[in-house]
Amino acid sequence: MTMQNIRLERGDDGVWTLTFDRPNSAANVFDRATLEELGAHLAAVAADAAARGLVLMSAKDSIFVAGVDLRVVRQMSAGDLAVFIELGQTVFGQLAALRIPTVAAIHGAALGGGYEVALACDWRVASPDACTKVGLPETKLGLIPAWGGSTRLPHLIGVPKALDLILAGKTPGARPARKLGLIDEIVPREHLRTAAVAWLARGKHPRSLVHSAPMNAVVDLAIAPHVRRDVEAKTRGLYPAVQKAMEAVMGGAAKWHEVDALKREREAIGELIGTESTRNLVSLFFLQERAKHRALPGVSAGERAIACAAVIGAGVMGAGIAQWLSARGLRVILRDIDPTRVAAGMATVGGLYTAGVRRRLFTEHEARAGFSRISPAATEVPLRRMDLVIEAAVEKMDVKQNIFRRLDDIVSDETLLATNTSALSITELAAATKRPERVIGIHFFNPVHSMQLVEVIVGRSTAPECAQRARRFVQRIGKLPVLVKDSPGFLVNRILLPYLTEAARLFERGASAIEVDEAMLDFGMPMGPLRLIDEVGADIAADVAATLSAAFPERMSVPAILPGLIAAGWLGRKAGKGFYVHDAKDAWKPNDDAANLRTGAQQVVPLSREALAHRMALLMINEAAHCLAEGLVEAPGDVDFAMVTGTGFAPFRGGPLCYADSLGARRVVGELSRLAEQSGAHYQPCPLLVEMAQTGKHFYED
Amino acid sequence: MPESRFVVIDGCRTPFCRAGTDLAALAADELGRIAVDALLTRTGLDPALVDEVIFGCVAQPIEAANVARVIALRAGIPESVPAVTVHRNCASGFEAFTTAAERLAAGRGSVFIVGGAESMSQIPLLFQEDTARKFLTLTKSKSAGSKLAALSHFRLADFIPRIGLKLGLTDPVCGLNMGETAELLAREGSITRVAQDAFAQRSHERAVAAEARLAEEICPVYAGGHAITRDNGPRTDQTPAVLAGLRPIFEKYGSVTAGNSSQVTDGAVALLVMSEQRAVELGFKPLGALTAYAYAGCDPARMGLGPIFAIDRAAKRCGLMPSDADLVEVNEAFAAQVLAVLQRVPIPDEKLNVNGGAIALGHPVGATGARLILSSLRELTRRGGHRALVSLCVGGGQGAAIWLERR
Repeated sequence: MTMQNIRLERGDDGVWTLTFDRPNSAANVFDRATLEELGAHLAAVAADAAARGLVLMSAKDSIFVAGVDLRVVRQMSAGDLAVFIELGQTVFGQLAALRIPTVAAIHGAALGGGYEVALACDWRVASPDACTKVGLPETKLGLIPAWGGSTRLPHLIGVPKALDLILAGKTPGARPARKLGLIDEIVPREHLRTAAVAWLARGKHPRSLVHSAPMNAVVDLAIAPHVRRDVEAKTRGLYPAVQKAMEAVMGGAAKWHEVDALKREREAIGELIGTESTRNLVSLFFLQERAKHRALPGVSAGERAIACAAVIGAGVMGAGIAQWLSARGLRVILRDIDPTRVAAGMATVGGLYTAGVRRRLFTEHEARAGFSRISPAATEVPLRRMDLVIEAAVEKMDVKQNIFRRLDDIVSDETLLATNTSALSITELAAATKRPERVIGIHFFNPVHSMQLVEVIVGRSTAPECAQRARRFVQRIGKLPVLVKDSPGFLVNRILLPYLTEAARLFERGASAIEVDEAMLDFGMPMGPLRLIDEVGADIAADVAATLSAAFPERMSVPAILPGLIAAGWLGRKAGKGFYVHDAKDAWKPNDDAANLRTGAQQVVPLSREALAHRMALLMINEAAHCLAEGLVEAPGDVDFAMVTGTGFAPFRGGPLCYADSLGARRVVGELSRLAEQSGAHYQPCPLLVEMAQTGKHFYED
Repeated sequence: MPESRFVVIDGCRTPFCRAGTDLAALAADELGRIAVDALLTRTGLDPALVDEVIFGCVAQPIEAANVARVIALRAGIPESVPAVTVHRNCASGFEAFTTAAERLAAGRGSVFIVGGAESMSQIPLLFQEDTARKFLTLTKSKSAGSKLAALSHFRLADFIPRIGLKLGLTDPVCGLNMGETAELLAREGSITRVAQDAFAQRSHERAVAAEARLAEEICPVYAGGHAITRDNGPRTDQTPAVLAGLRPIFEKYGSVTAGNSSQVTDGAVALLVMSEQRAVELGFKPLGALTAYAYAGCDPARMGLGPIFAIDRAAKRCGLMPSDADLVEVNEAFAAQVLAVLQRVPIPDEKLNVNGGAIALGHPVGATGARLILSSLRELTRRGGHRALVSLCVGGGQGAAIWLERR
């Protein structure tokens, strides 16, 4: 065996150190070779009768151990995988079974297998740096922690906290991790080893001697029924990994012998791997990773990173953008037309920081520093020093054009001019300035702080360097960009709209709001379409529908119910009433009066939830195919990643185009054609789909 | 000034708000940050061009020692730019300004942000020395028994605080507090209660009438979803009758009341100053320039007369007399004190404190000097005037005078 991934050293004091240092890589990962190497090293340590303790470290700058090498795991056969999982369990078992005390000294990400190896140690110390994160995010990939994580974590921090962490796949930073008990002490990186040696003096972790205290009765009686009900309600049975992780954690905790618990982990992951859902979630993970680093080949993003930005418009979006940028170290001017609006925007920013402190995303200190990086402006101020201006004013072309026209006089030639419009044409807006090549769309989604996707909209006149610079900027502020060509509705709203109008249309034709929304929740959407319209506002939805139906009259229209709702003043949550009645506590129930707005012209036969969901999903697939065929994005992966990240489109289905592949183009076209004949031309399948049905092709060919 | 004139490019200030009102929650460092941030935003100046930040502050926040440095860093001035806090009591805002002028003259930089910041709301209450000693014993006690013993020494009277504001306004050398020095001037100069109240009334009326003009120098403070955009000291409902009804607060049979004294106020001012040459290079059009200045000492018990000595000393340096000025500011610490100055240095009413003074607008001690410079330069511009003389009396027995000019 070549020992090259981990260095083993023994100090004169009898303390062994294992340093993970994968050659030619910025990250440490677990593959078969590394596990075998670790096993051999542990055997050597175990054989040293004079050993005092063992410290695990990493030599990398920002990673302890990042987990398994997904690229490798993805290609494994079921048999190979079973061997691989068992190998990991055995080696980590060796570590846990050492008679000497062991400490993981964590700097950087210790995720999945990387944290499971730390869990097999007696103690854990970690650096406070931003790159330090710990946790077991496997369920996000449709897997479960199967190297002892599902078994050891509940014993360390208790079943309820372990469930919370594992089922959501959370990866907290050092401070919240210390609070949860995931690590024992935070010390500066330079003192990690010293601290680890100090923890060795405490000996073995007291709980590691007994696998299971009588937790089983407690778990079965007090926790299990609750959690099962909760998980069932949240996942609707669509996420088998979450269910299996739940059973592994609760079942493992109830087992008297660790071997039985570990066996359960192995069985569960064996059942998960190879399922379509897991495959789709893993593919999405790779698409997101790609979005983080992608660049236009051969195009420079400019020498200087964007450090100063101005946001024009202090509404919810403008303030949200300003807060996000300031929290990431940028200096931001937040400008609006009068002090009252600026005050409201600054209050929004302040609220976001306060909430961030409460959720331990920032310390008080960081929040104050971030807030201080925002300079309010209630008048026009020089923007010559700004690297970027993001306009987030009202969605009116003339207002935006006026702003852009004025920008000509107050920005420098280097300033990138962006708009956060979600509907208006970038190309048309660009024409208002003397520098259309520097105008681009940077479309954040609401709420800015929790939506990871940002559409970077390239107008006809936008220079490639500007597109590159904008994308690099979005990546640098920790968001996931998707590059989209300027076209009405861009990508996400364009695909979402036919789905929302279809939901409204189905409601209008007799389906109840609950049935429509439940159908899509069962499908895997995070929120039903009619509730989403209520959130967005019927007026805004009608606006977008009007813009898009002007551009695509053959497929899109404003559903008749929307003008009815608007006339009644039922604009949705902001008005307290829409398809639903909303109360102050954010609870809702159907608005029975909305049903009276139905025109009653064409009642449909009651459709099953499956049939309802199918219609709405087919329209998303169809529009997604149109977008791809028009070349708005480069690849099917862009569409799918954007829809999942931007709208929460059922992740386990991999996105609309991936879902189309799973149905098969022939079936999609067949059903769309049938609906087009029966229920309206807007179902007419996209020529690209028709061609694929004929040739038997898929969007994804591998 | 030698080679290059020292010019003021622009400035702005927070609203001046009575202590305990709109700005009470903001410490001096935060008020200063807001003013500097707004100044940088409105001028578009690259903060990396700043050579030093110099701020005046009398009661520095205990949690923000060298408050100028805290202000600078929080306002986005690069870490490499140094910052210093200066203190000459009521003339601290002047001191920041003239220190920058001296730095320029000495060739130690050419671009400065200067100003003053004061939160009089947040001047702390202090424990008595005895009480502090008891606390120290308590923290040093290790065992439960000794802690209990230490605790048993505390008496209710230990918790009567020493009021920092009151201590700060008392001269440690002559033992008089500032109001008492004003009473002394009133007695010695036979300055009547009526005259003082009339002067106070005039200050309010002028400040109220100047609201729109003063608004030009104000940067809003955003707090709690509101924009604070106005000074709240000037009273529109102030009448001579109301003033006459107030009781003297420093001497039983005296004449100095809360109504004819400056108000206790929170606020901050920031000015961008640089060499004239640098202004040309950077394309800035100055508001005005420094002509000359002087500080002078006097009897601490009669500190209110300070401007007389400072104006005289400045005249010796530059040859300018008050009659050469288009505008004059004599800071209104007390009406009695200004009237005492006027007895020796007559100034035409239409030139004196034309937009009201500290009796109406308030006197955040560390910031006032910088406000006088900013206000008078802006007023000089409005009137198309040439010269302004701004002066202050200074607790501890000093006076300060600055001549400003506009071409």
